Order: sequence, then structure tokens, then C-alpha cells
Amino acid sequence: MTNEPAAHRPGPAAAPPVLASSLRIFDLSLGEMLWSRRTIFMLLVVAAPVVIAAFLRLLVALGAPILDTHETTQNGVRQSIRMTGPAIFGLMIWVFYLRFTVPVLGVFYGTALMADEVEDKTITYLFTRPIRRAAVLLGKYLAYLACTIFVVLPSVMLVYLLIVPMQGSLGGSFIDLVKDLALLALGLAVYGALFGFIGTKFKRPLLIGLIFIFGWEQAALAFPGYLKRFTVAYYLQALVPHAMPSDNTLSLIQGIFRESPPLTSSLLWLAVIWVVFLALAGWVVERREYVLEQ
Amino acid sequence: MTNRTRYFMAGSAAVLAIGLGTGLVAYYTGGFQAVSASPVANELRYVPADASVVAYADVTAIMNSELRGRLKEAMPAHEPGQQEFERQTGIDIERDIDYVVVAVAPGSEPTSPLVVARGRFNDSLLETVAREHGGTVEQYHGKRLVSAPAGAAVASPEAGTAVQVPHGAHQVVLAFLETGLIAVGDGPAVKKAIDAQASAQSITSNNEMMELVRDIGGTNNVWAVGRFDVLASQAKLPDQILSKMPAVKWFAAAGHINGGISGSLRAEARDDQAAEALRDVVRGVLALARLQAQSDPRSAGLVDSLRLSGTGKTVALSFIVPAEILQMLPKAAGQQ
Repeated sequence: MTNEPAAHRPGPAAAPPVLASSLRIFDLSLGEMLWSRRTIFMLLVVAAPVVIAAFLRLLVALGAPILDTHETTQNGVRQSIRMTGPAIFGLMIWVFYLRFTVPVLGVFYGTALMADEVEDKTITYLFTRPIRRAAVLLGKYLAYLACTIFVVLPSVMLVYLLIVPMQGSLGGSFIDLVKDLALLALGLAVYGALFGFIGTKFKRPLLIGLIFIFGWEQAALAFPGYLKRFTVAYYLQALVPHAMPSDNTLSLIQGIFRESPPLTSSLLWLAVIWVVFLALAGWVVERREYVLEQ
Repeated sequence: MTNRTRYFMAGSAAVLAIGLGTGLVAYYTGGFQAVSASPVANELRYVPADASVVAYADVTAIMNSELRGRLKEAMPAHEPGQQEFERQTGIDIERDIDYVVVAVAPGSEPTSPLVVARGRFNDSLLETVAREHGGTVEQYHGKRLVSAPAGAAVASPEAGTAVQVPHGAHQVVLAFLETGLIAVGDGPAVKKAIDAQASAQSITSNNEMMELVRDIGGTNNVWAVGRFDVLASQAKLPDQILSKMPAVKWFAAAGHINGGISGSLRAEARDDQAAEALRDVVRGVLALARLQAQSDPRSAGLVDSLRLSGTGKTVALSFIVPAEILQMLPKAAGQQ
């Protein structure tokens, strides 16, 4: 037993600030997330448009009449259909990235932010550290953002460089590219926050997430009325600088009932969804008691 | 963070930076044009981004066309004028000018159009002629500008020798843009064209207009594309007429001239409803024309060739003026 005066005895260490703790968790989680099996799936998803773009470019270089004007007659009306590089790029942004890659990556990574630690039974090690639990979630969320943004956006960039110069101009489409990159990053951030909350709150979050993006969002957008306001896609699609494709029946119906909210309104609601669900996810993590199955 | 992660992030950031850098340079220079860009892409870089009308004429093709040959045989009226113009400027309009691009700028004050011509020009002779007529020479962003002051006489192929630039009119400026490329217009218009090329704020950055140009420029030797709404608003038309005009945003007219003339008129309406209304009007006019054609077999061929097409916001009307009808024109002119 020591007779050390109380003033010299080390007291309980003060918890580091949330941001510093989050950055430490970010540093730890980024590598784990980037080199996980899930990333192989992500690479396949983002590599597909690049491969298709390269293939198209090759076909055009070999003289395939892909970009020529095609004339068809429908109901006695002659129609001229002509595809240009910027139009194909816009189509790919809609079909590959906005409708599939962004929500799907949001579901797979967002729902797994905490679920992976619970499944691996390693969450105890994180929660016994002298940091706030919300900082763990925030750090993992930042790692998710870095991981997805640094994989998805370079893929968009390669598609742009391959596709747009075909009967288009890189300079002429540059502003659209910047808008596309910004809205895809925003989409990843908002979907990540939403599914981060679902992952912390519910059991079977992956199933709920898939039902949300492929069931609820698609159905709500296809019906007239205000239900579409309870989707992320409604606000995100209003920011797209390209024409909406009508490549299948569902898209055609969605196009008929499509309403575009004003830019400021869309940005505001996306910001609200982002902040609210990220805060809710942090709140749930702070209060939830995680019971690890033995 | 492991080195592997660091390298991956650096690689991704590099791809992003290279792509954005390339796009940014292309945006500011107006460069990196389409793989199969319009043959006048370089000239269009001198057309300011806010031009309300851009037109193009392939002078060589028109001058060598069968139609021109027939008209020349029937109406050789301006031959001496052309010869005098060639003697003064060294330019043989039939051989030395390949094509011209004409642009009209929007604005409340009427301005002369900007004409950019590609061909073979004797720069020093043109400059000397301009100086002889009181012109002054200045440098503007590295380009030589020759200004003919109001009241000076300038050579004109139509008039034969020289015509006076009226007092009060805008100063006519001739600019040597590049080897074989000149611009003629009033001073501010020519300087704006040089600025547009230097700052990359040219019509080539307007994707909507460039798409129309690419659509019609491929097979036609004469075309014009413009903003219908801008022109209508500048025309100072009475409100009653303006309210009845179709809500058309863009228009395009194109033609191919050789023995006959084949052409098309295209309008891009503001919305599908406006386009449908315009299609109805055109259908009505076509029906009326067909009725008239029944009593005039000479115009039946032309009326039969009229084809209305287009879906969505696009309304297009194509036509063919057969060589047989055009052959009648010189005869009719001779009779008069």
C-alpha cells in the first residue's frame, strides 16, 4: 500500500474527443473494410460499367454503326434515334450507378457497420475502449464513405473518359460530370446513414435494406401521390443532370409519374435524412445492449 | 493504415485527379472535341456561347453544284463585279473560299453578323486594300484586326468595285484569326469572337446546340441552328402575335444543294404538348398544300415530298425540290 497523496494519484483518464476517437476507428476500419470479401463484390459492381464502356469504345473504333442515326417508323411517324457519347454516359449514370451501385453499396456496407463486429464477436473490444460508442459508429461510417467513394468515383471517371469523346466533347460534359460525382457521393453518404441506422436498430438489416431499395423505393416512385417523398431516390434523382431513361416498363411508369422537387428542396431533404439517420444510429449504438451469441 | 491501403487510396485519388484535370482543361480550352466532330468544329470555337443563330455554308460544294451551274448559265449578272472584287482583294469567291460560318449575337441593338470564312486568302493584299481605303491596323490578343471606319469604301463582290460603309453604321473589322481563316463583322463582334476562342466560352460548350449541329451538319452543305425563343423575344413583336406563336426553343434548317435541293426544318419545342400543337398546325398546312397541288401539277412533286416526322419535343419537316422544278426557274426568269 502506498501513502501517495491524493493529488499525485492518477485519476480516471478523460475520454478523448469524439472526432479524434472517430478518426482512430476510421484508421483501423478502412483497411479492414477495403480488403474484405465485400469489396470483391463492390469491385465487380463498379468494374462492369467500365468494361462495357471499353467494349463500346472498341466497337466504335472498329467501325460498328452504334452511333449512327437509326430511323424507325412507329404509328406512321418517322423517328430518328441517335446515340452520342454524352447521352450514353448519362444513361450509364442512371442505370448502373444511381439505380444500382449507390443503393446496393449503401445497403451492404451501411447495414454491416456494426453488424460485422457483432457477428465476429469483436464489438466488446471496441466498446471497452475509453471512447464513446457513437465515435465507433462515426469512425466506421467515415471508413465506409472513403472506401466506397474511392472505388465508385474513379469508375465513373473511367467511363467518362472512355464514352464521352464518342461524338461528344469532354469539355462540354465536364459540368455534368462534376454534378454526377457530387450527387453519387451524396447518395452514398445518405444511403450509408440510413442503412447504418437500420443496421444498428433492426435484426436482419440486410433483408430490410434490400426490400427498401428494390421494393419500397421502386413502388413508391411508380405511383402518383406523396409516397415518393418517403424515399431517398426521389430527392437524389431530382439532382441528375441527364434525361431519365425509359428502358423498362417500371422506368416508363416512374417516368410518367415523375415529379422533380426543386434543387434546394432536394438538397435540404437529403441533408435532413443524412443528419437525422446518422444521429439516430449514434443514439441507438449508445443505448443498445449488445448480447453476443455464444 | 497499411501501405497497401495507402497505395490503393493514392491510386484512386490519382485516377480522380487525372480525370477531373483532363475535364477541367477541356472545359477551359474548349478542346478534346468529339472523335467524329463536325468539320467546322475549329471555326465554331470563334462563335460566342450566347450566339442566337449559327449558320454554315459549304461554298465550294454550292459553287460546284449542278444547280449553281444552271443558274450561272441563265443569270450571269454579277460576273464583272466578281472579277473586280478578285482584282482588288485577290479572292476568287468560287475557288478561294471553302466554307463560311455566320453567327448572330443576341442583343437589343441590331448588329451585323459575324462571318468566319475558311479558305485561301492573301493577307498582305487584304491589309493593303483596307489601308488604302483609310483602314487602321491593330493587334488584339495576338490577332491582326483591320478596321474600316464608317464612311470608308470597301470592296464588294455584288456591287462590282467598292461601296461606302454608311456613316453611323458599326465599324467593319477584318480579323486574321489563323492561316486561311478570317473573320468579318463589326468591331465588338469580332473581338468577342477572339475572346470566345481564347477563354473557351464558345458555342462548342453548348451541348444542346452542338448536338443539333452534329445531327444536321453531317450530310448537308447548308445549315442554320438557332434559339427561336431568343429571336422571337428580340423581334419586338406585338403581344398578340407573341402569345399565338408556338413555344419553340430551338430551330434547325438544313439543306443539301446539288442538282435539286433536299432539306429539312426542325423545331425543338419547350414540351411535348407544344410540339404536338405545332405538329397539328403543320399537318393542317400540309393538307391545304395538297389540296392546292391537285390543281397545279408542277408543285405536286414538291408537296408530295413533304414529310412530317418527330416525336416528343421534336417536330421535323423534310422536303425535296426536284431538279425538274429548279430547271423551270431560269426559264421563268428568262420569260420575265
